[in-house]
Amino acid sequence: MRATMNFSVWTLLGIMAVVAGVLLAWPAHAGPDTDFANELHTYGIYGQKDYNAWIGKITCKRLYNGLDADADNSAQFVFNQLEKGSTTEQAWRFLGAAINTYCPDQVVILQRAAG
Amino acid sequence: MYLRAVLAALIMSGTRMATAGFASADASDDYPIPNRILKTTCTVDQYMEAVRDVEPVYYERYITDYKNRPVDVQDAARDRIYWFFSLDYVGRRQYSEDTATNVYYEQMATHWGNWAKLFFNNKGMAAHGTDICINYPPNDATVWNW
Repeated sequence: MRATMNFSVWTLLGIMAVVAGVLLAWPAHAGPDTDFANELHTYGIYGQKDYNAWIGKITCKRLYNGLDADADNSAQFVFNQLEKGSTTEQAWRFLGAAINTYCPDQVVILQRAAG
Repeated sequence: MYLRAVLAALIMSGTRMATAGFASADASDDYPIPNRILKTTCTVDQYMEAVRDVEPVYYERYITDYKNRPVDVQDAARDRIYWFFSLDYVGRRQYSEDTATNVYYEQMATHWGNWAKLFFNNKGMAAHGTDICINYPPNDATVWNW
């Protein structure tokens, strides 16, 4: 009887520990789209999170496909998708954040533009 | 006698209203196909190149949907939209009328309901795309292979 009760208590504690672990871990893995949106907010770029994530990923795709041959083309594409009244600097910030988040191997185009 | 005349007038007026109701289901110069698409002189490729730049999310979604179709459906959809763009304004307007009044007219739609979504379903996108499409190369196979 006592052994059975001990087993039940330990099982319950185990389940609670697992649930607590999942709950604690949840905010730490919000996902790249949320991280991206948060970074954009620091540049004063708002708008829908999903939309901005799409634009970030499509920006990378255009670089991979060679449609945008360099960072200037890419920044121009981004600028055209931002809300009216956005600045060129915001477009470049967006581009940098998109590359860091979705295609870090493309960082070389930023280095080329800076050089 | 007077009552009979009033009744007849009411019936006539009802018939006219019902007829007007049916008439409004016909195509207009902007429905179901946007006017800009009826009138553009751009090629399919030019329009798609433009939309890829100015409406990238719509374009991305359309191409994702396209790629998820069987190859024979992809081929048929491509052929059909090139055929539509080969028509002049009068032909396109007639096609718009035919699809508005007969839901079974466009057989392509039975295989893929959204086969022409990039072209026919959004006036804003049609306007943005046709504003600038003439500046793009007339032939670019990458628009389907994105």
